[in-house]
Amino acid sequence: MKSLKKYILNKTGHFGEYGGRYVPELLMPIMEELEKVFYESIKDRSFQDELNGLYKTYSGRPTPLYFCENLSKKLGGARIYLKNEGLNHTGAHKINHCLGQALLAKRLGKKRVIAETGAGQHGLATATVCAKLGLECVVYMGAKDFRRQRPNVFFMERLGAKVVPVKSGGQILRDAINEALKDLISNPEDTHYLLGTVCGPHPYPVMNAHFQSIVGREVRKQLDGSPDYLVACVGGGSNAIGLFHDFLDDEGVKMIGVEAGGKGIKETSSKCDHAARFETGETGVVEGFKSYFLQNKDGQIKDTHSISAGLDYSGVGPQLVYLKDIGRIETSYALDDEVLSAYELLARTEGVFAALESCHAVAEVIKLAPKLPKNKIIVFNCSGRGDKDLFIVTEKFNFKIS
Amino acid sequence: MKIMTHIVAGYPSMKECEKIALTMAETDVSYIEIQFPFSDPIADGETIKAANDAAILNGTTTAKCFDLVERLKGDVPLLAMTYYNIAFRYGLERFCKKAHEVGLYGLIIPDIPLDEEKYEHYLELCEKYGLNPIQIVSPITPDRRLREIAKVARGFVYCVSNSGTTGERENLNFNLKKYIGRIRKFIDLPLALGFGISNKKQVGIATEFADIVVIGSKIISIHKDGGISAVKAFCLDIRS
Repeated sequence: MKSLKKYILNKTGHFGEYGGRYVPELLMPIMEELEKVFYESIKDRSFQDELNGLYKTYSGRPTPLYFCENLSKKLGGARIYLKNEGLNHTGAHKINHCLGQALLAKRLGKKRVIAETGAGQHGLATATVCAKLGLECVVYMGAKDFRRQRPNVFFMERLGAKVVPVKSGGQILRDAINEALKDLISNPEDTHYLLGTVCGPHPYPVMNAHFQSIVGREVRKQLDGSPDYLVACVGGGSNAIGLFHDFLDDEGVKMIGVEAGGKGIKETSSKCDHAARFETGETGVVEGFKSYFLQNKDGQIKDTHSISAGLDYSGVGPQLVYLKDIGRIETSYALDDEVLSAYELLARTEGVFAALESCHAVAEVIKLAPKLPKNKIIVFNCSGRGDKDLFIVTEKFNFKIS
Repeated sequence: MKIMTHIVAGYPSMKECEKIALTMAETDVSYIEIQFPFSDPIADGETIKAANDAAILNGTTTAKCFDLVERLKGDVPLLAMTYYNIAFRYGLERFCKKAHEVGLYGLIIPDIPLDEEKYEHYLELCEKYGLNPIQIVSPITPDRRLREIAKVARGFVYCVSNSGTTGERENLNFNLKKYIGRIRKFIDLPLALGFGISNKKQVGIATEFADIVVIGSKIISIHKDGGISAVKAFCLDIRS
């Protein structure tokens, strides 16, 4: 297990058979240049210092690791710790890779940054760092997400970003990614695509994993050791990889990625009631990388459903699929209703509103903790705070805002 | 002057696109590109993306696309354009074998770059089944990649453009001359040029530099407005 980190990624960006760089020729030079500058920069002391400085003074890192005493007592099993990425500036872990990539964009001499967003957290973090670093910013957002994540749309626009609702397909995250890739194909020279998760063509999965791995490193320091379980929700997989990465070599640490079970694991040939790629997904090559995708037998990608826009995605990070294949991580899923119960329980026991995405991890913790003895430690990634979900949860809890 | 035209299999229906393709063949186009629809066509614009969606909704499957090719087989060389997931899910070897059996001249799959050859063996399988794997290049493809592409290219090479190559006629001339000139230094095969070409004037400009002019999404809008007769008139007119 010691050498795990060394062999999970090869030089061509493959994790086992997954990952890679399946993009049109037009994008190849851009990806090669990005890869080169990324590897040079992370070895460069001045880049590291600048990034770490921003993490500390701008984003507010390190984020707290908080012992959920009341929740642990209530569930009557393992000791539960919450890694509060929601206390980052802009309210989620997304700023970790946004700061890293925006500094790279500067080094690449790019003036314009584009991004896709689902829940709006990645778009918000991108718009924020672009405002700070003086970069033009365009955010693509599925029209359905544009409607259901209004607060983030408002804030992105106030930050000077142009938010483009994407009306094609299911009008969700996947459609936004398609649109952003098309933009990059049309504007390859002046634009950096600040992709917001550990998906996409090489080097995005490894680059975003690198920038997110600070989360796990902080946990190790804060615990002064290793936990027994790590739990994180999985959309594309950025917050999960961020939490897991530093512990991959620690054999004793069990890791669970939690997907969106939506309304249940049911689907037709074009539409899923969930976004559980590890349940019914199959290997495919889409949006520039090889991984699991929810697709029909012809290879047409299915629309997905989740109460949380950030997990509502038909593909998943290639490294996570590889780690699942070799048995290093486990996966499970949480249904929309379980997620709402988890949202409420965490709020009432600990006074923390977690993002609906992160509540998938909470829902898993609720199932897991009572089965474990009291000396075991679970750390879950509270990847974002719940403010942005105001309009969804008020509707679900039958509360009229105005 | 050689022209390559384009249809999306199953759009607006399987019957209608077959008629469109037969009409194109009658006007003596040099190649017809038949797009096997995919839900996530990242290299296509809005018009073709919408046609892909509609074709999938119509029940178009990969098997039906191959049936269409088989029915259309005639004097005009046919190429299948699609995205890698479609071939991958069909089984790449099975896909190439079937492509050969139905008489396809070549494949245009934009998201399978040479760099993945050792994982996918796409070029190897094209060779085995006598298919031309059409390579795509752009104005920002560096010389070192052109050298690699030149080694594996067969049939012709498809030159696409980015936003930098459209615009004023003088500019267009200058940019195309530079662009195509550079590609020719590396590649001996005929060059096809596509940059959203939609009228006779642009065809004229493209012909000055390239061997094959590609007309893609324009056909879809022409058919939408004027039906088959308009497509026929257009194909005849642009070459007159």
